[in-house]
Amino acid sequence: MPISAGGVAMGAWPRVAMEASELWVGFVGAGRMAGGLVRGLLQAGKVPASNVLASAPSDKNLDAWRELGCRTTHCNLEVVYRSTLVFLATKPHILPGVLEEIRPAVGSQHIVVSLVAGVTIQTLQRAGAMVFSRGSNAGDEEAALLKSLLSSCGLCEEVPESYIDIHTGLSGSGVAYVYLFAEALAEGAVKMGMPGALASRIAAQTLLGAAKMLLETGEHPAKLRGDVCTPGGTTIYALHQLEKGALRATIMDAVEAATNRACDMAKD
Amino acid sequence: MPISAGGVAMGAWPRVAMEASELWVGFVGAGRMAGGLVRGLLQAGKVPASNVLASAPSDKNLDAWRELGCRTTHCNLEVVYRSTLVFLATKPHILPGVLEEIRPAVGSQHIVVSLVAGVTIQTLQRLLPPGTKVLRIMPNLPCVVQAGAMVFSRGSNAGDEEAALLKSLLSSCGLCEEVPESYIDIHTGLSGSGVAYVYLFAEALAEGAVKMGMPGALASRIAAQTLLGAAKMLLETGEHPAKLRGDVCTPGGTTIYALHQLEKGALRATIMDAVEAATNRACDMAKD
Repeated sequence: MPISAGGVAMGAWPRVAMEASELWVGFVGAGRMAGGLVRGLLQAGKVPASNVLASAPSDKNLDAWRELGCRTTHCNLEVVYRSTLVFLATKPHILPGVLEEIRPAVGSQHIVVSLVAGVTIQTLQRAGAMVFSRGSNAGDEEAALLKSLLSSCGLCEEVPESYIDIHTGLSGSGVAYVYLFAEALAEGAVKMGMPGALASRIAAQTLLGAAKMLLETGEHPAKLRGDVCTPGGTTIYALHQLEKGALRATIMDAVEAATNRACDMAKD
Repeated sequence: MPISAGGVAMGAWPRVAMEASELWVGFVGAGRMAGGLVRGLLQAGKVPASNVLASAPSDKNLDAWRELGCRTTHCNLEVVYRSTLVFLATKPHILPGVLEEIRPAVGSQHIVVSLVAGVTIQTLQRLLPPGTKVLRIMPNLPCVVQAGAMVFSRGSNAGDEEAALLKSLLSSCGLCEEVPESYIDIHTGLSGSGVAYVYLFAEALAEGAVKMGMPGALASRIAAQTLLGAAKMLLETGEHPAKLRGDVCTPGGTTIYALHQLEKGALRATIMDAVEAATNRACDMAKD
């Protein structure tokens, strides 16, 4: 249902101001993804906890939300009635039933955002990468509001919906490839004689530093890579091993496999 | 040369206070690594730029230092006379000649910290006056963005005070830990060169996404942010990477399909090969 241009709301509830501080935010589903997102929002001071209402079937997850100062319920409809911005954060197979349940309560004042794909766990650490797409009735105002809210949790960009599965393969799953990479870096150092705990710390810091260089310099990774390569030095010896091991092709295979799996799952 | 207990200083210069803010810091050599380190120190406000003096043969590198507010010179001896904490940051083959040049000016008040790859503490102590406080450090380039990884070792005359000073100063540039000297070459293979492996990884991540239809600039940004987020999770949760990896693996989901590809491609073995090759090269270079 479109929001009417004249300001007369369709549906039972008056049009609520778009100010983030006056926003009533609801979460249908209160699992790990939702928890990460709300922590990021609260930590950034974007929304007061008392403006947040979350629903879940049991109290298992909801205890943590109450500890944050959020309100909780077991009733999905209540979340929809009492919120303007509604995040859907159920497991994929649950969602259709939930949508059927809440449909009668959804009106033109609502902005419904599905988290069921495309949001990563790192939002907990405010270093996430998120993409979102808008449905046919969500306009610039809604997109701007979402972007403003979620940018507190990390990178947040609007994309065509076709990119969302790619984002899953690149970033949603991509963090797991990085964890594998970190494990291997540390194990290489352990083989050479460094204790594991120190090696793990340095591996993680190396990842952090390189990522910051990429983000803050904006330079092409190949340029930054060249900067580190002293002629005849240690780096070029190492890179030769990575090329022999077809590292780049392997990683491209991984992104492709994850993206294709995301597309297949969407068809189910 | 010892400082006599009565407070009469031996040598020409009085003992300078160990307060970082009163520290006079010198750099012999002003290349990329030194530049990264000084940028980190200045940005963190650890040392005022006017307390920093750097020397280099030509002005090519020194312009950037002056722009930061540091003082510069072409005279290595001047750096040693005017500084308490002296960083040696020359290319390895230049260092022996430089040490011979500055040796007469090095005294008991100095703390000499070498950034020079492949030059051992033993060599440094041999080429400097007996009793000189020497430390050796291996940073990496992200010190520039205050997210560096640095390890250092102390020579026989450097004590807890010097180690604590160095650690306190350099923690402003990132992770800074004291280690046995034998770990320094490993650190080179893991982290000094390691950043290049990460750049390659980032490039490949983005290119995978480009193949699937995402534009390159967006893919690159998301790839870098993915690396950042994962790194922060590792550092801030302190959890084992395998545990974090398992947390992302929904049964039958996208992640486990991708990980299967990484295992087929022996990604872990390849990365271990890289760390090994770089470490071995560092050891070989040190013997030259």
